[in-house]
Amino acid sequence: MSETNPSPIQSPTVAPTSVPGASPAAPLLSVEDLRVQFPFSRGSFLSPQRGVIRAVDGLSFDINKGETLALVGESGCGKSTTARAIINLVHPTSGSVRLEGVDITRLGDREMMPYRRVVQMVFQDPFASLNPRMTVGSIIGEPLAVHGLASGKDRKLEVLRLMDLVGLNPRFLNRYPHEFSGGQRQRIGIARALAVQPKLILCDEPVSALDVSIQAQIINLLMDLQQRLGLSYLFIAHDLSVVRHIATRVGVMYLGRLVELGEAESVYSHPTHPYTEALLSAVPVPDPSKAASRQRIRLEGEVPTPDREHVGCSFADRCPLVVDKCRFDRPVHRQISGSEKVHTVACWERG
Amino acid sequence: MVESTPLLKVEDLQVSFKTDESQVRAVRGVSFEVYPGETVGLVGESGSGKSVTNLALMGLVPKPPGRIDGGQVHYQGQDLLKLNDRQMQSIRGRRIAMIFQDPMTALNPLMTVGQQLTEMTRLHLGLGRKEAHRQAAEMLELVGISGAEKRLRDYPHQFSGGMRQRVMIAMALSCEPDLLIADEPTTALDVTIQAQILDLLRDLQQRRGTSIIMITHDLGVVAEICHRVLVMYAGRVVEKADAQTLFADPKHPYTQGLLRSLPRFDQSSDTLEAIPGQPPDLGNLPGGCSFRPRCPLAVDACQSRDPELMNLDGRHEVACLVAQEAVDV
Ligand SMILES: Nc1ncnc2c1ncn2[C@@H]1O[C@H](COP(=O)(O)OP(=O)(O)O)[C@@H](O)[C@H]1O
Ligand SMILES: Nc1ncnc2c1ncn2[C@@H]1O[C@H](COP(=O)(O)OP(=O)(O)O)[C@@H](O)[C@H]1O
Ligand SMILES: [Mg+2]
Ligand SMILES: [Mg+2]
Repeated sequence: MSETNPSPIQSPTVAPTSVPGASPAAPLLSVEDLRVQFPFSRGSFLSPQRGVIRAVDGLSFDINKGETLALVGESGCGKSTTARAIINLVHPTSGSVRLEGVDITRLGDREMMPYRRVVQMVFQDPFASLNPRMTVGSIIGEPLAVHGLASGKDRKLEVLRLMDLVGLNPRFLNRYPHEFSGGQRQRIGIARALAVQPKLILCDEPVSALDVSIQAQIINLLMDLQQRLGLSYLFIAHDLSVVRHIATRVGVMYLGRLVELGEAESVYSHPTHPYTEALLSAVPVPDPSKAASRQRIRLEGEVPTPDREHVGCSFADRCPLVVDKCRFDRPVHRQISGSEKVHTVACWERG
Repeated sequence: MVESTPLLKVEDLQVSFKTDESQVRAVRGVSFEVYPGETVGLVGESGSGKSVTNLALMGLVPKPPGRIDGGQVHYQGQDLLKLNDRQMQSIRGRRIAMIFQDPMTALNPLMTVGQQLTEMTRLHLGLGRKEAHRQAAEMLELVGISGAEKRLRDYPHQFSGGMRQRVMIAMALSCEPDLLIADEPTTALDVTIQAQILDLLRDLQQRRGTSIIMITHDLGVVAEICHRVLVMYAGRVVEKADAQTLFADPKHPYTQGLLRSLPRFDQSSDTLEAIPGQPPDLGNLPGGCSFRPRCPLAVDACQSRDPELMNLDGRHEVACLVAQEAVDV
């Protein structure tokens, strides 16, 4: 099967996306003070405990046209929940998600339809997200049918164009997902996401399940598509090397909050929040000559479950720099001093 | 690292699996040594035969569908492949221990951690009840679990992912094995926890002189803790060198490709050079070198045989005709 660069783009048969009420001056996506809480009850029948999981706990960021914002942080810090809230798969407890200026958090399913074309999602496990009983052609064509964008021969032509775009041989139109390798299934997932001509793609760990040689093929494809189509990505990953390669900006999350946000180069060369420092220093580097001399900052213990309310900084309990203020005042994001890059950190002791 | 007689010597190991369609040749002539006190990395993409190689030397390949088609595993003057189940059981866990990606495959969910730790040492080391209990608590402390006395009474599910990994390491090390085989022990963990576990393994090795075979697909992990590295591709070792040399001067086009396709954390990079295509079907291998269909350097001669490992300069071995020619000149 072809793994080479896709041939030059033919123009799509589908009309470009437009949404009601959009304001061209607004950022493509604007998330403001987003909170997502999941109520839980545990304990025994006689002494039940109730509480909430604060999966996303006051998150704010923008994504502009053509850029890649990466969200990083350890499992459970709320990356996937953030993505799910953006496409309205979970309902935010409070806060807003604006697409080109329009708040979509309170829209019903029908009203959401045009916005679903703007934002699409690509998942980690392409196999689990592809219907095993549908052919590749019908999988990629399905969104075109759902949104009433193309039918009959037009739809088939459009599917073939999409397959070509993502480097899938059009001969495989009538094959089933299980006949493909992991990397190619991911190409199918990407083609399906592209079908409705979205402006923003939420990529949730899209290369985490792939071997490095295949991972590089998919990363190159995503970056190439971004260039050609002017796409924006919200890129969720726990692999900090992949993120450095693909991201324009990086946000570091801890217990549902952003602790640091800035241009990728700046965050990687000047990690400022104590958690970011520890996280970056833990990444193994494929160079034994550097491994010995690297400064290591080791955190003790593990990330706790986000079932407690933090009045102050959520990292305070594990922070080597903690002072009293950190436990009572939630730190606000401040531009770090001495940097020309946009780079903010939420820490009372640093910045 | 002491250069002495090897602790373990694997020679021309061959393992296959019978499936409905074909004979899958998972391990095709793998040879390597492990010296006392060293960490040997086994790296390669999924399906390259890393786990099966190690299951074979522990006598754990499921038969059928698996079959050992040939080879020897020398350990303390005996060939492990010739031992019967009972003889093997006295080595497994006692002299050679294993840890896995998923700790729950090694831990019994119905027994407390203390019961499992003491069962091992009472059986293998013949410790009495009290002595075994004291040793179990010590082991938990050693792997960094605080409040050991109390935690011995807990069941595996009461530990978090990283802590469970530590419990498994404590179990594996409780009989002071000579060799620890670690199969992707940190793959499922977050990076800060991975760093803790790698520190722990490094530290335990220094204190006890245990040899480690580290199986991983992560070249970063290899660089962090391995002294020597074997690169596997489609059931064969294609390159073997000390870690420093392998990363600074990779000779096999597959190793070179892997390193070039890796996004770098420590430097920014433009486009990644992906290796085109995908690994071959082990039940239906191409003739000649199994990397040839993806190799940028392939020449006609690569079609005729699958090259053997050849020693290039003292301690760097590579199985590639083109790399071997380049040195001959
Ligand atoms: N549907 C749900 N119900 C209850 N808790 C949830 C649900 N989805 C996620 N969580 C919890 O919210 C937190 C954040 O999860 P998630 O967004 O999946 O994190 P990440 O993607 O960063 O690993 C975790 O503690 C997780 O267990
Ligand atoms: N029980 C089994 N039955 C059939 N094939 C197997 C079995 N175990 C492993 N294999 C095959 O052996 C090959 C090598 O597998 P493995 O050693 O697990 O790879 P790695 O650990 O390098 O990812 C794979 O092609 C795999 O499908
Ligand atoms: Mg997630
Ligand atoms: Mg394996």
